Formats: sequence, C-alpha cells, structure tokens
Amino acid sequence: MKRIARKLLLFVFVIAILVPLGNLTVLAQDTTICFAFQDLETEFWVAGHRAITGTLADQGIAVIERNANEDANRQLEQVRDCIAQGVDGIIIIPQDGESAVTIVNEAQDNDVPIAVFNRPPSDLSNGIVVVADNETIAEQAVEFMAQKALARFEATGEALTPLIMVGDLGDPNAVGRRNGFYNVIERYPDLFNEPIEVATEWDAATALANLEAAITANPDVDFLFTSSDFLFPTIRSVLEPRGMWVPAGQQGHVIMGGLDGDATACQLIKDGFVDATGVQDLFFEAQATLDALLAAVDAGEFQPNEVIEDPGFALTAGNIIWREMDMWGCVLLAEGFLDQ
Amino acid sequence: MDDIANQSPPPDSPIEVGQPSAQGAAAGASAAPSAASRPAPTGIWRFVRRLLLSEYFILYLMIVYFIILVPLLPTLSRPQNLANLLSNTWPLLAVAVGQTFVLIIAGIDLSQGSVMALTSVIGAAIFATAASPDVLSNSPLWGIVITENGGLLSGNPLSVPVGVAVMFGVAALIGLFNGTAVARFNMPAFMVTLVGMIFFSAFAIFLTQSENIRNLPEAYIQLGKGDIVSLYFGEQAESQIPRRQIYSFLTYPMVIAVGLAVTAHFMLSRTVFGRQVYAIGMNRQAAEISGIPVRRVITLVFMFSAFCAAVGAILFSARLEAGRPTLGAGTALLDIIGATVIGGTSLFGGKGKVLWTFFGVLFFVLLSNTLNLMNLPSTQIDMVKGGVIVGAALLDVLRNRLLSREGT
Amino acid sequence: MGDALLELKQISKTFFGVKALDDINLTIQRGRVLGLIGENGAGKSTLMNIIGGVVQPDAGSQLVFDGQPYAPKKPAEAAAAGIAFIHQELNLFTNLTIAENIFLEDFPRRRFGPLSMIDRRALRNQTRDLLMSIDLDLSPDALIDDLSPGHRQLVEIAKALHVDAQLIIFDEPTTSLTARETRHLFEIIERLRADGKTMVYISHILGDVLQMADDIAVLRDGKLVGSDTHDAFDINRMIALMIGRDLAQLFPSHTHTPSAEVVLNVANVSEPGIVKDVSFHLHGGEVLGLFGLMGSGRTELARIIFGLDRFSSGEIHIRGQRLDHNSPIKSIRNGTAFVTENRREEGLMMEATIVDNVGLLSLNDHARTSLRVVDQSALVQDVRQIAGALHLKSGEITTSPAKSLSGGNQQKTVIGKWLMSDPAIFILDEPTRGVDVGAKHEIYSIINQLAADGNSVLMISSELDELIGMCDRILVMNQGEICGEFHGRSYDEEAILRAAFRESGGEMTLDQPHNGQGGSHNG
Repeated sequence: MKRIARKLLLFVFVIAILVPLGNLTVLAQDTTICFAFQDLETEFWVAGHRAITGTLADQGIAVIERNANEDANRQLEQVRDCIAQGVDGIIIIPQDGESAVTIVNEAQDNDVPIAVFNRPPSDLSNGIVVVADNETIAEQAVEFMAQKALARFEATGEALTPLIMVGDLGDPNAVGRRNGFYNVIERYPDLFNEPIEVATEWDAATALANLEAAITANPDVDFLFTSSDFLFPTIRSVLEPRGMWVPAGQQGHVIMGGLDGDATACQLIKDGFVDATGVQDLFFEAQATLDALLAAVDAGEFQPNEVIEDPGFALTAGNIIWREMDMWGCVLLAEGFLDQ
Repeated sequence: MDDIANQSPPPDSPIEVGQPSAQGAAAGASAAPSAASRPAPTGIWRFVRRLLLSEYFILYLMIVYFIILVPLLPTLSRPQNLANLLSNTWPLLAVAVGQTFVLIIAGIDLSQGSVMALTSVIGAAIFATAASPDVLSNSPLWGIVITENGGLLSGNPLSVPVGVAVMFGVAALIGLFNGTAVARFNMPAFMVTLVGMIFFSAFAIFLTQSENIRNLPEAYIQLGKGDIVSLYFGEQAESQIPRRQIYSFLTYPMVIAVGLAVTAHFMLSRTVFGRQVYAIGMNRQAAEISGIPVRRVITLVFMFSAFCAAVGAILFSARLEAGRPTLGAGTALLDIIGATVIGGTSLFGGKGKVLWTFFGVLFFVLLSNTLNLMNLPSTQIDMVKGGVIVGAALLDVLRNRLLSREGT
Repeated sequence: MGDALLELKQISKTFFGVKALDDINLTIQRGRVLGLIGENGAGKSTLMNIIGGVVQPDAGSQLVFDGQPYAPKKPAEAAAAGIAFIHQELNLFTNLTIAENIFLEDFPRRRFGPLSMIDRRALRNQTRDLLMSIDLDLSPDALIDDLSPGHRQLVEIAKALHVDAQLIIFDEPTTSLTARETRHLFEIIERLRADGKTMVYISHILGDVLQMADDIAVLRDGKLVGSDTHDAFDINRMIALMIGRDLAQLFPSHTHTPSAEVVLNVANVSEPGIVKDVSFHLHGGEVLGLFGLMGSGRTELARIIFGLDRFSSGEIHIRGQRLDHNSPIKSIRNGTAFVTENRREEGLMMEATIVDNVGLLSLNDHARTSLRVVDQSALVQDVRQIAGALHLKSGEITTSPAKSLSGGNQQKTVIGKWLMSDPAIFILDEPTRGVDVGAKHEIYSIINQLAADGNSVLMISSELDELIGMCDRILVMNQGEICGEFHGRSYDEEAILRAAFRESGGEMTLDQPHNGQGGSHNG
C-alpha cells in the first residue's frame, strides 16, 4: 500500500536534489531572443520568418526558435519554456489576436519584454506591436485597380462587378483589408455593382469551394480583390477553365489585385494577369521590431509598450520596374523561390 | 491518498528501488543508479525482465531520463521549468483519464478534442463579460446569446457555475450520443467518434464563425491558472518580490485534475462500476452473459470520457483566456491517446489504470518539455513523440510475450 | 496383412522433464485404418506432431516409413514423404479458390512463348475430376471462404489425394461437421479404404472410431495401453483403457430424485430457422439431458431459454414467471444460470484473476455504501469458499489468471461464478468439453450435488455416454425440433442415436419463415 507513495516520494526527492543544481547554472551572458511563430505554411510567413531570423543573425544575436503548428495552447507552453530558459526577449507571431493578448501578459508578468510581429493582438495596449496598416495598404492597391476600372467604364459604359475574397475575420488583418477594399468601392458609387463576398477562412480549400460557387452564380465578375496573395493559384484554377484568366490588355481581362506581395504575385504582375498588390514592408517590420525590442532590453525595461505601424505600399504594373526590390516576394522570386 | 493506494498488490511485485538498508545511505541522486546496478540473484536478464514487467516501468524510465538530462539541460530542473511542467500536466491528465476508461473497454474516443472545442465555446458564450461586434457579429449566436455586453449571463455572479454546468451537460450529451451509437447499435467506436470529432469541431467553428470568445470572467480564468500556494526561494528581506521569482506550486488546475484523477482511480479500482468496465474490456460476450449491463456501462464510459474532456476544456481555455473553437485540434489527440498508451493502458482493452495514465502524462509532458529545451524544431519533436508511442506499443507486446513465456 | 507402412519404435518425448510419450511401439499397416484414441493430454497430438515433423522425438526413438528410416525435421518433409494431415483447424487459404488450394504447389502450366503460364483450363478440369472422385459437387472456382466446414474438410481430402499421400491422418475430423456432412465424410473414408489407402483416424467419438477403424490403439498418460484389431474392442473396453478404470466408476451414483414441481416450462417455442415448436418441462431436482449433434439447435434453444435470443412464438415459464424479455440480467435475477459451451469466448475473462472471474456475477451483492464500493475482502472470502467446495486446483486465487488453469479447472471457475448468484436452474452446455477424465468425474459429481440440493439441471451434450450416465430423462434434438424423449435409467442407446441422426429428407421446413400464429396448434 505504501508502494505507490514510496515511488512518488522518491521521484520528488530526486527532483528536489536536482533543483538547486539548475539554479546554480547561469545562462550564457549573450543576448538571447526567443522567436515563437505559429506556422510556416504560407509563403508570407516563410518570408517573415526569414526576415526576422536574418535580421537577428546580422546582429549576432542568439535565437531560440519555436513552431507552435497552429496550436495556441502549444504556443503558450513554448513561450513559458522560453521564459524558464531565461531569454532576454521574445518575438511572437501569434496564432490569433486573442491568444496573443494572453501570451503578451504572460511574458510581461514574468518581466520578459515581448514584441508581436505582424499579426496584432486584439488589445494593442501591451507589448511592442509591429503591425502593417492593412486598411491603407489595401486601399492603395484597390485604388490602382479602380483607376483601371474607371478607364474601362469610360470605354464601355458598363458598371463593373467587384468580388472580394475575405480572410478569417478573427484576424484583424483580414478586417482591415476588407475595410480598405470597401473604402475604395464606396468612393466610386456609379462604377461598381453590389460587391460579392467570398469567405476563405485563410484556407485554400475553403476558398476554392466558395469561389467556384460564387463565380458560377456570378459569371460577370470582372474586378477581383483577394485579401491574400497566397490564393492566386486557387483563383487561377477557378478562372482559367472559364476563360477569365486573361492578361491585361486582352478581351475578358479581370482586373485583379491582392495583398501581401508574395513571389507568385510578383510574377503575375510581371506577366500582366494581376494589376496590383498591396505590400507589407517585411524588411522594415523586422528591423523595427528588433530595434524596439533590443532598445527595451538594453534599457532594462521589462514591459515595453509601443505600436509601430508599417504603411506599406502598392506594387502595381505601373511601378514594378523601380520598386521591385522593396517587395519581399520579388526578392524571393529573384532568388529562384518559385523554381524550388 | 493512502486509501487509494491501499488496494490489492499488483500480480508481479515490482523491484524495490530503495532497499530498506540502502535507503538511509541513499544520498540523493545515487539512489536510483545504485538500484539499477544492483545485481539480481540470477543474472541481469532476470532483472531486466522484472523491470519490464513492473507497472512502474515508465516511472523508472522517467527518473533515469530526467537524471541523464539534467546536466545537459540545466534549465530542466529550474523551479520555473518544473512549474511549467506541472502546469502542462494537469489539463492533459484530466482528458487522458477519460480516454483511459474508453481504452479499457476496448474502445477509442477521438471526439475528445472536439468536445473541448465545443464546450469551451459554449461556456464562453454564457459567461463572457464583453464581446466585440467587429469579431463576433457574424456568429449565429450574436444578438441571441452574445451581445456587446458579453454572454448570456454576463456579470451575473452565478454565470461561471451555470456556464460550467452547461459545459458538462453538453459534454454528457455528446458522450451519450457516442455511447449509444457504440453500445446499442454496435457501431465501431473509431467510426462513431471520428464522425463526432469532425461534426462537433465543425459545429464549434460554425457557432463563432471561427472566432475566439475573449473577456472571460476572472473567476473562470482562476480555474486555469490560479495559484493557491506559490513558492519564493529568495531572501525574505525584500519588500517587492519580482514576479518571475515566484513559482506556482499548488494551483487550481492541479487540484481539479488531481481530484478528478483520484475519483476516477477510486471508481475504476474499487467500485462495482469499475469491475464491470474491466470485464467488458476483457470479454464483452462473457460480461453480457454474466448479467453485466454492458450497454449501460459502455454508454456511461463514453459520457465520462466526454466529461473529462470538458474538464480539460476548462483548464485549457481558462489559461488561454478564451473560448476557442479550435481547441483540441491538430496534434492534441496524439498527446491524449499517446500519453495514455505510454502509461501502459492497452489499445486492445481490459488493461489500464488511472495511475499508469498519470505516469504516462508526466512522461509525455517531460518529453515535450525536454525536446523543446533542446531547441528542436516542432516537426522533429512530433517525430520523436510518434516514435515513443510506437515504443510504448512495442513494450506492451514485449510484456505480453514475457508473461506468456512465464506461463509455460 | 503384415505389410507395415509406418513403424514407430521406442518413441519417447520429454517436455521440460515430463514424459509426454513413453516408449511407444506401434505399427501402421498398409491399406488399413488405425483408430487412435486417448484422453486429452494422453499424447495423441504429440505423437502426430512427431510423425508430421512438428516436434522431434527424444534420442533413441526410431521411425520407419515405407521401409526407409524417417526423421522429419519440419512439416514440409512429412508432406514430401507422402503424409497428409486433415486437422480440426484446417490449413486452407480461405481467400483462394478450391482449385488454387489443391494445386498451390504445382499449378498446371503451359508455355506461352518464353512465359510459363498457369493453365487455367487444365487446373479447372483436374480439380473437377478430383472433386468428383469424392462426390463433391462444387465449382473448382468456389472460394474456400464460402464453403461449409464439412466441404472444406473434403477439399483437404481432395488435396491429399492430389499429392497422392500414402498416409492420411484425420485428427478429430467431425467436430465441426453436421450429421449429413459426417455421413458423407465416412462414405469417403470407406471409399479410400476400398482403394487401399492407409489412414489414421483420431477421434473422441468412440462409436465412430469403432465403426471406421480396422485396428485401434489406445494411449493413456503417454503410454500405449492397448492395440488390437477392432473386433477386440467395445465402447466399454475402450473407455476402461483410456481412463484406466471402469465406465461405471466414471459416473457418480445418483443421489437425487426429481420432484413433481415444474420449474421450467417450455411450450411450443419457435423461431424460424432456429427452433421449431419445442415443448418440454424441467422438474425440481431433475437432471434433464438434451442430446443432439452440432447444428441441431440445442445451443440456440439454451440461449433462448436464458433470454439471450428472441423467439417469435410460444411461451416459456420459469418458476411460474413468464419469460417476456431478452435480457440475461432478468434471467439471472430469476435464478437461471448458463454455463456456455465455449469457455474461452463466452465464459471467462482469460487475463483476469480467479476472484475477478468468479466474483463477476455477484459484484452487486458485495457492493457497500451508495457508491457501490466492492467489499474485496468479503468477495475473496466467498470465492475462496466456492473454490474449496469445487476442489478448484489453482495458484493464489487473487493473483492467478484464468488462463493459467487447466480446462477442467477453468470449467469449475465458470460453474463457481454461477454458484455465487445462487441460482435454481442450471443450463449446462457441453459442461465437459475439453476437460480431462479426472475433472469430468468431478464435474459430474458437482452436477449430481446440485440436483441433490433441489436444483434443476438442463445438461446439453453431444456425448451420449455422459447423458446416459447422468440424466433422469433425455430429450433428443434434431434440426431444431425435439424428436424424442427417453425416460428412466436404462436407455435404448440405438434409439437415441437414430433419433439424433434422423434426416427429414426433402420436407425441411426450417428455412421457410414460420407462421407465428400456427405455433400453438399442436400440443
């Protein structure tokens, strides 16, 4: 009867002896940053990951990487592990805005400075938050598309039918992008018919099914904005069989735009299929995140709070010649990313 | 606790790690190695055999693993890391206890993850104190259950108890559905709960349109992360203790999960119900002919499994401070079933103990923690975990072979 | 005569210091059928395994086959030498066709350019010829999976004929056959004998052995205790040799007398395709035998009476109460016990301890407090008492698993489980199957004791001898019907067997849906 109790006691005993050992050990004095990201499934996050690790490496900072595989609980546990390891600062790409708040609080409670990269927490008041102004970026891209639409309207006199592929609206990025789109549409009331909304949940399969349905119901769509560039291959697979995948300047071209600025989008703009894409300046964002975080570490500040906005820009068929290398997707493209 | 430990001794008496004579002199870390090197009377083979057959094998393995890794991973034995280890243990333990029951009746419950998702959303929809229309206005619950002022019972002092009761109720209903399909219509548990997993997690996502419900009341959040006793190892003189030097020790999730596990252990090992559960797992036909209410017991087991998942949902969602429709998705099921199997509960039914599951969960959490501390990429961590589960299944086979050889 | 095909000389085999076979000297004559009998554990299978190359005998043992020294190291060598085994568990590939099974090792081939192809047509024709030779009218392309056990057995024989086996060994061939299939098998064996084949026939059914064999050899405890031509034997002598004592001693003397009280009344019970218009009474303190072959509906009837299966018409009254449910729980509450014919699948939890097995039925009686906590020490005490009363031979009852017990002690464990619920009616389905003779005697004593205590026993068996030795009355079942009732202490064995083997020819009605209302028209 005492057997179980005895085994457990022994276990506790062994640990109790080893605990001081752990306390004696001191972490190396170099600056160590924990980088916890949620996933590397899309090109955008791969590029974001590269931008951050590249910037960290340039400055000779040790980095501990943690991939939560889209599991918020696991990310919380990973951040706690990082804190236990005594890191100097944490950068996270959170799974969603809600878990980001919890994780930021967890880190700040434990006196570890934390920065949130790109996907903002639903509460911006805590932590260093680097966020693209999605609304403005989307507006820039859609405005360029609207100018093209205007030219077509003047030629034919027919209003255009716009379609937007919205992201997961739990992600403030998706909300901002949708708002940017509507801001432009409302600016030209005569130019556009009632917009069609296609839900994607940031998932290619969902997007495919919903877009198929929407295009079948509304074959006259001639103005399409996707909230993320990673959906262009999906869009192509729906439009191409219907003869709607046509480069600019030819009959039947759908005026198309996106946001993110990935390698595919860069290629498609060069080929004329896509007219514009809103670009987050990932290189700026990575550098700004790190600068703010390191400044806090150096200053001995444990709970730095700051919102850094990335205004972004729109890469269009018009400006691609001179802005190409500012866009992360084109950099990837130039490195042969799509050939891999 | 003594009461629980006081049951019939296991058939094969395990080796004694601390010999009475050695115990006094066993100065710390030398205790286990001295046992490991103690020569068995008839050779090393006999010793290995007894070790493998011991029901504490996983515990020994865990101790050895821990001791080996401490010098390599200094962080491992730091109080903060141990506190993390424990806090990761409790929610998993709560869910795995339910899975243990289902595995003992030779079933499997794949729907536990979706029960966690659905109950966490429903609970949050009842007691959330506020909600943002930007996020939730697309939800079919908006305006009916959730408004800008929060959930159905927002602000009501009884909102948390009522919400938790509803979570349990929903879980019990899902368990009833699973159990009825398996027991009455003789559908395979794998099939039934796979459908349940797909359906209920989709339903949870539908309810909030994939959004998380935040602004949970403080009383609820305490269930997931509240400390009852914390430890501080520094000097007493300081008036302001830095937060990072206070370590959680006795927490609400610990009390909840251990309470659940002890109750489950008692049910399984001491009550008529527990004996009936084992009997069904070992030979369902014999149990039926012997007048055991097989269908009722199977149904109750699935209900208990879903109930445990709801307890897990409370602990997970409270510490994340949100009702999440994606809770328990992804590899969560791997963790639950893996930890249970590592503990020694057989997938073929009839064999398993809550205590084993506790060891299995501890080992699994320790494994994840150490792999994280080694800074391995998550893909490799999952590969190692998968390997360990296969190892555990092989160990089960090896044990059975040793036992049958003993029989001749 | 005098032409030996297989000679066994000084065959011994020791397992872990125990002599399984002790100096066996036996000659199998060419062209004759040798019947080999003995209890379970007497050494029959070990002997056959040695002949089949599965195990090797001890040094000094000698086999001579067809004039040549013969020492097979593995089963393939035995097959190559021309020895074929027809087992209880058949060695056919159920996912292949009859033809493929028979020709598995030497498909007829034809050349197709450089390729050697299976000649399907030749395969089919040769198989059809083989099947015709044993009166088996089946398509060569039929899957084994779709065949009845009897047909599978015949396919095995066809395979043995195909490889032109010199010695065919039948090991309990009839255990899973219906009466008609058994008769067909015997006809084939007769024909093989006429063709001059040499065979060994191993069976528990002594009447069959007596009928089929030219010579009979009896094994007991690893020794050959008798070997002679068949006319030197009768059933009593065979049993006496097998068990080392007289048949009369096998069955304990009756100490019970049935009362007039009817505890079980089965009236016109029918279920289409299963049982037809079954009626009988069971009295208090009576041991009622139910004799029938496999597939006669006896086990199905037992399941219906115990409330496991439904029936569509008729009535069953147990101790005055009408059975209107199909729930074992109510039957148990009503004082019925059911020892099933299949211990392993339906009786025991093989991995669980004796206490857990015996205590299974009475868990609720040992539950304390509203939490229904099992009072383990009281339970162990009660189980110990029952185990003592049944002379259960086992290790410590709280730790030894059921699988560690011998067949007889496993059966006692099952009986003990039912005794714990204190029933009044025992349905015992093949209570002595797979049990050695010593334990049989003990089980018979237990049954007598149960009856002497005023309980009623419905004893189902396919061994007529034990029913004759044990029962106050015997019912015979055939194709779902009760087709005979025999009273008293001196039974007409032949009449019982005739009833059991009776074939109803073309007027089989069991497969037709039975008219429910018609069930009560005959009384």
